[in-house]
Amino acid sequence: MSALIVENLVAGYGDARVLHGVDLNVGQGEICAILGPNGAGKTTLLRALSGMVKARGTVRLGGTSLAGRSPDAVARLGVAHVPEGRGTFMPLTVEENLRLGAFVRRGKKDVDADLARIHTYFPVLKTRLKQAAGSLSGGEQQMLAIGRALMSRPRVLLLDEPSLGLAPLVTRELFRIVQAVNEEERTTVVVVEQNAHLALGIAQQAHVLETGRIVLSGTAAQIRADEQVAQSYLGYRV
Amino acid sequence: MTGRADANPATRDAAPATAAAATGEAGATSVRLFGWDAARWRWVAAAALLAAALYAPFQLIPFHVFQLTMVLVYAVALLGLNLLVGHAGQISLGHGAFFAVGAYAAAILMERWDTPYPLTLPIAAAVAFVLGLVLGVPAMRLRGLYLALVTLAIAIFLVPLLKRFEEVTGGSMGLTLAKPAPPAWSGLAEDQWIYFLVLAVAVAAFLLAGSLLRSRVGRALHAVRDNEIAAEVMGVRLSFYKTLAFAWSAMFAGAAGCVYTWVIGFVSPDSFTVNLSITLLAGLVVGGLGTMAGPVLGALFVMFVPGISQEINDAAPGVIFGLLIIAVMYVAPTGLAGLAGRLIRKIPRKE
Ligand SMILES: Nc1ncnc2c1ncn2[C@@H]1O[C@H](COP(=O)(O)OP(=O)(O)OP(=O)(O)O)[C@@H](O)[C@H]1O
Ligand SMILES: [Mg+2]
Repeated sequence: MSALIVENLVAGYGDARVLHGVDLNVGQGEICAILGPNGAGKTTLLRALSGMVKARGTVRLGGTSLAGRSPDAVARLGVAHVPEGRGTFMPLTVEENLRLGAFVRRGKKDVDADLARIHTYFPVLKTRLKQAAGSLSGGEQQMLAIGRALMSRPRVLLLDEPSLGLAPLVTRELFRIVQAVNEEERTTVVVVEQNAHLALGIAQQAHVLETGRIVLSGTAAQIRADEQVAQSYLGYRV
Repeated sequence: MTGRADANPATRDAAPATAAAATGEAGATSVRLFGWDAARWRWVAAAALLAAALYAPFQLIPFHVFQLTMVLVYAVALLGLNLLVGHAGQISLGHGAFFAVGAYAAAILMERWDTPYPLTLPIAAAVAFVLGLVLGVPAMRLRGLYLALVTLAIAIFLVPLLKRFEEVTGGSMGLTLAKPAPPAWSGLAEDQWIYFLVLAVAVAAFLLAGSLLRSRVGRALHAVRDNEIAAEVMGVRLSFYKTLAFAWSAMFAGAAGCVYTWVIGFVSPDSFTVNLSITLLAGLVVGGLGTMAGPVLGALFVMFVPGISQEINDAAPGVIFGLLIIAVMYVAPTGLAGLAGRLIRKIPRKE
């Protein structure tokens, strides 16, 4: 069963077209990695999925069409987007950030229970609850961003370069947690990553995006095996 | 398990607002003095302030009681402006207009329909709220300088409008009204009675604003202020919450305008020029954006500093007033409330 179906997605900024017809089919509970060089349109793809940039084409979440909906409406339908740069509410506390993640949900008991659940994934956040989120380290802020996204109990989690600016050790830990979340909650994940090695390590399927088109698709294993091709094609190491 | 909002929309999340949010200061860890945290101290300070406020009118001469009453009036107006500017991160250069609408609503109700004064408060607040909603829908689509300009325009067209509809508003002459009379059982003088009325309104307004800000909606406003894009992907409908903030802040300004009419017993267009709007915004920024103390400190500034400026230099009070604003912002860039917070943190303390 597909959680997310994207067909012929075209998007851009003003007159500048960035995506030229992207197709994706992500199964329920799958992790899908989007790889590609800088400026390929990876961020734009996630933005188009969550309604942050205008797009044409088909985007279906389960049976519901997301096309043309505003970001808040898409969020209410169960898509949680962890944007590039994390989107931390700096002056607010860690707890307030987390609770904002559950903004689309009602029921204090459930939210409190989820807060506890997030703490088991990210124990470091628990010790920082009353601290201003802006005072967290980069890695902690990334954990907060993911934890906050999980607070909405998303059906699909969109992660934009979670490794950006983080130490390799922290990045590995982060990917381990994403994998754990995916396994335990059956949350579908679309992850954009420069660190192809790590992303392919947790993903089932992968796509290579270049100048707004998917130029290579397959299972994570296939893409990994295609290292030679990818290396020469993309000019960077997979 | 879906991401949709589940049932029970009535359950408002009442988690206690935490120190950093309440003071709006990034990176501030909570202050502990003698084992009490910042939230506890805030309540103590509020209680002490209230006790002083209850005691003051029996110790002061009527003119000073009147001045203190006006401080409370401005505090309510600034409280409203703070919801919009300090908490939702939007600007308004025209909030004097909503103050005027509240003042005129009260005056017209009392003058034309003999409405008893207590009734004018909810009506004036409601009128200002609805007007805030109507003007907020288009205005809140704009940002930054565009929003500033449009709100300024609201303040600018108000005065000629009030003069134009002379039959209702009394034109340039304005309307003169009887002030609320103290009931015999109270044993209070008129100025004291009015003072206590306004104090009650101010306390109610602060409690209401406080509970609004601690609710889920308050969190949404802070999210919009701190990161619009992230707020939107969290499911916060920007236009809805901005407009709501605008309407609320108009409502508080309208309530303040209404009690202003009770206090002064006279309204005229020239009391509500653009100057009032600018002074309110300046007062709020000087007092401290996004804090609970900010509107009170700002109200003191709005009330007393123009008078002090006049004393220093009778010829050009505006110059002194402007210089004082610059001076305060230089010493305390986050406003007087921020300065007070910094001073408190300087006090040595046990951990
Ligand atoms: N807000 C914007 N306005 C206009 N053009 C933009 C905007 N954001 C991105 N672009 C352009 O769209 C193209 C794709 O950008 P995008 O951010 O999607 O790339 P990316 O694959 O995420 O790159 P990176 O790996 O560097 O994050 C780039 O040419 C970029 O200049
Ligand atoms: Mg990107």
